[in-house]
Amino acid sequence: MNTLKIGLLSFAHTHAETYAALLRDRADVELVTCDPGPHAPGELRGAEAAAAWGVEHVATVAELLARGLDAVVVASENARHRELVEQALDAGCHVLCEKPLATSRDDAAAMRAAVERSGRFLMVAYPVRFSSAFGQLRDQVAGGRLGQLLSVRGANNGKLPTSRSWFTDPALAGGGALVDHVVHLADLLDVLTGGAQALTVSAVGNQLLHPDAAAETAGLVAITYPDGLVVTIDCSWSKPESAPSWGGLSLTAAGTGGTVSVYVFGSKVRGLESSSGLPVELAYGPDLDEAMLDTFLGAVRSGSAPQPDLEVGARTLSVVLAAQESYRTGETVAVRPV
Amino acid sequence: MSTTPDARPLRIGLVGAGGIAECHLPHLARLGAEVVVFSEAGAEELVARHGTGRVVGSLDELLDAVDVVDVITPTPTHTAVVTRALEAGKDVICEKPMARTADDAAALADLAERLGRRLYPAHVVRYFPEYAALHAAVARGDLGDLAVLRFTRSGAYPTRTPWFADVEASGGIILDQMVHDIDIATWLAGPVVSVSAVSTHSADGAAEPAAAAHVLLTHAGGAVSQVNGFWGPAHLQFTTSFSVTGTAGSLEHSSAAERAVVTDLAAAGDGAGALVPDTDPLDDPYFLELRELVEALRSAPGDGATPRTPRITAREGAEAVRVANAAIEAARTGTTVHLTEQGARA
Repeated sequence: MNTLKIGLLSFAHTHAETYAALLRDRADVELVTCDPGPHAPGELRGAEAAAAWGVEHVATVAELLARGLDAVVVASENARHRELVEQALDAGCHVLCEKPLATSRDDAAAMRAAVERSGRFLMVAYPVRFSSAFGQLRDQVAGGRLGQLLSVRGANNGKLPTSRSWFTDPALAGGGALVDHVVHLADLLDVLTGGAQALTVSAVGNQLLHPDAAAETAGLVAITYPDGLVVTIDCSWSKPESAPSWGGLSLTAAGTGGTVSVYVFGSKVRGLESSSGLPVELAYGPDLDEAMLDTFLGAVRSGSAPQPDLEVGARTLSVVLAAQESYRTGETVAVRPV
Repeated sequence: MSTTPDARPLRIGLVGAGGIAECHLPHLARLGAEVVVFSEAGAEELVARHGTGRVVGSLDELLDAVDVVDVITPTPTHTAVVTRALEAGKDVICEKPMARTADDAAALADLAERLGRRLYPAHVVRYFPEYAALHAAVARGDLGDLAVLRFTRSGAYPTRTPWFADVEASGGIILDQMVHDIDIATWLAGPVVSVSAVSTHSADGAAEPAAAAHVLLTHAGGAVSQVNGFWGPAHLQFTTSFSVTGTAGSLEHSSAAERAVVTDLAAAGDGAGALVPDTDPLDDPYFLELRELVEALRSAPGDGATPRTPRITAREGAEAVRVANAAIEAARTGTTVHLTEQGARA
């Protein structure tokens, strides 16, 4: 098997370290990275980070793209996806773009145009759909075991992200908890509905748990889909900093045939820490990022566009934008497709 | 507080003999009540099944024979029955929801107040030990200021009597089932200022009907609540869960995860799901509820006993009905319903 030349653009997202390590350790990948900055003070970034992770780093995006790469992974701040994605596509690279696809309609439209003119594909980094647990639910829904699917309720709760300051800067993140955690469940809904466009969204939220944050840190969202499906998502950063693990993602699907509950990241070895009495949780299970990268790299080899593609990213972004509008106005809003 | 057994006779009239009577009659008997039962159907069978109670042929006859009336008729009849009982000078316990509409529920609370009678809506979930423990923790301040609350309730679609699923009659899943958690959310996080909701139903002709709804509440203090309800196929086990997070901590519970007995046996019986949750007979919430309400009714100020206040009031029952109806309207119109403070908790 010939070696794939893969670039990693930006270390802004915490997942960049995971991608760097997974790609570095693959025998079929030659990895080059570039973390152009600007970098927030006190965060391990750029050449220093690359050295710590044992990966090659170049100074500029142009230099990286001049390497004749097969594909690029973009892990920049949410609001900076567009500029790097456009450059990578125009340089002839397939792209794996960290979620959410973008933070605005305009950016998503520009990225769609770049995909179309380049003839390259864009995959959105939604790892949860690659979990076996969710796969069972997907197969049960597709096989009719749930009958008519009526209800899905999901929760994707985590800690206030603090390891990178931009996560809580609405200008760079595109918002708060609504943009960060609605999209994973919206992606799973996209799978379960076969790519249906959401119809209406109501969202409520607050900043009570983190009064100093610049955007909402708690959010509850209710969504209607075609064919009588109603969905609700808790996207709150409601895990305290002292919690033994980062959080998790669960969903329960209900239909005329019954209910199925899925706990992704839910399997843990549990115990207590003797001196404090605090709980200890050791999460275990397959690395979903690895499964997602497998799919991406396989598609780069074959040249056929993988899922979730840009349109999934656009549909899930349309739910986020509607939720943000509903939270802002206090009214239920119709979803405008992106 | 006196612990001497109350020597006065306790005469309670049970109006209605449907499914929920199984959760009332035996507990009233255990409290030492002389129970008089009136129902348009099923009264004789109910009394025979439990070996307790005396059946009468009319509501008037019942009202003549008792001091307290326990109303467990279908929701759309609550207003008429409770009004007659209050006007006959009786104190009343009424199954939830207190009435079908917000106006009717408020009118019942007003009427009780005007007549100087007590009216206690039977919101039994306040007596389930896990919800009582949650409320106690919140009241102690263990969780700080509440921020995000989630509640789920899932069980078999009520097919035994048609009025349950008839939205006009019962208010459907939101008023019949989810009013429990709407009440708990309000009990914990205070008055609700806005409501949005989505609801759905299986297609006509489904072999086993199903219904689902999700309700979002914003409380006056800024906390937000999510209430999820599902009525599914007959095999569905009754399960509930909550997850409540505040500035100082969080508490969560899942009835499915906290089962005291886990079995893996060949299927027995018809495997039908239950309409009410499994409860521990030693700590039965329906008994705890009726005991507290009856004790409160028997401790009227001025009669020498220590007056007791139960954990639920008619105003709170009416507020749960108001918020649930706002959710029904939100789901029907696809809009967010903003509530005034007018009906907020006293």
